[in-house]
Amino acid sequence: MLEIRNLSKSYIGKTALTQIDLTLAPGEIIGLFGENGAGKSTLMKCILGFLQYQGKITLDGEAITRKNIARLSFATSEHSFFPNLTTSAHKEFYEMHFPYFREKRYRGLMEFFNLPEHKPLKSFSTGQKNQFEVILALCQGADYILMDEPFAGNDIFNREDFYKVLSGILEPEETVLLSTHLLEEVEAFISRAVLIRHGQIAGDVFMTDLEDEGKTLVGYVKETYQYKADRVSRALSDLTDEE
Amino acid sequence: MKMINVKEKQILAFVPAGIDLRQELKWINILLAASFLYSMVFLIYLSNAYHGLFTYIAGKKVLMDGVIMPDFVELLGTSLSGFLITALSMAGLLAYHYLYHFQGSKSIYLMKRLPDRLELWRRCFGLPVLAAVLSMCIAAVLLAAYFGIYLLVTPEVCLTPDQWGKIWDAYFEAGRRI
Repeated sequence: MLEIRNLSKSYIGKTALTQIDLTLAPGEIIGLFGENGAGKSTLMKCILGFLQYQGKITLDGEAITRKNIARLSFATSEHSFFPNLTTSAHKEFYEMHFPYFREKRYRGLMEFFNLPEHKPLKSFSTGQKNQFEVILALCQGADYILMDEPFAGNDIFNREDFYKVLSGILEPEETVLLSTHLLEEVEAFISRAVLIRHGQIAGDVFMTDLEDEGKTLVGYVKETYQYKADRVSRALSDLTDEE
Repeated sequence: MKMINVKEKQILAFVPAGIDLRQELKWINILLAASFLYSMVFLIYLSNAYHGLFTYIAGKKVLMDGVIMPDFVELLGTSLSGFLITALSMAGLLAYHYLYHFQGSKSIYLMKRLPDRLELWRRCFGLPVLAAVLSMCIAAVLLAAYFGIYLLVTPEVCLTPDQWGKIWDAYFEAGRRI
């Protein structure tokens, strides 16, 4: 269980997160949604210990330290691999540092996405780089897989392939926290949606509850964000009047 | 594909993953070689000073009366300073190694979440520290060798006492000024 209690994070003159309380249970696939700058990436970076914060984050009751950090993996659209290394060199590096590296899963995914083994990552397309970033996060052997907009730059077919593969390969105890703007695409894949707005949790709902209420994820997000449907038409008519 | 030898493979654990080790080793070797060549200026000064001790009478080389050899530290001058500069320049390499983890990706995220908390620092500091230590060791060996040569070639009557002590006095004085 990954527990976040009363988490706040401020940069100089700006509050990024305010008193976040969130619990991620084993086996959940959680979509983390919010506009740009809402605090999604900051939240993940706090969990991983990249940023100093106020509050408490624990993994099965223990603070996240070097002892248990291998239980968390991270895929980011910024990419965290070494551009000059080949995929096979990355595999060696991961195997050396992460004792539970999933070799079989790695081979399967590399084969499925047909990624070259002996070319440096810098020669890959953006889509291939994203694929490899996610493959590493999935194969590290972590219990909690954090993904920060991992498919930015991938085409739709590519992304759909990934959702299918993810649904198929994850084991019951593996937890995914996926930050993305692609609400409709991940709707069928996630089990829970967490909305973050201006650094605060604005909504937290299980997909089964949404289904029971006959709502869609997009509808829920719009409702939570108090999205005004006539916003565009009003703006356009204002602009037209000005002319 | 580049072939790497066993020694390079061992050093690879002390540099950021994927960095061009051969290029770095090449530059370190160039710096050390340049420092060594510059240090040989001492031998030129020594040779000049040595020949200045003698005069030629009827075509015969004769030691001049009451002449004194300049102190070793005076002849040494800045001839070993190349090694110090090489060692200090490793701070730049260290900074480059850290910033390397932000080039083309944010591999710093991976390095910061490795279970081995020393891995990042080992890979940033490793080669620069090894090169700096090597540079200072070569300087120490050359200091001893040049001092030996100085004692060997200088006629005993031309030597002033406490040559070894004067070296440290000079360094302490320089250090105090800094």
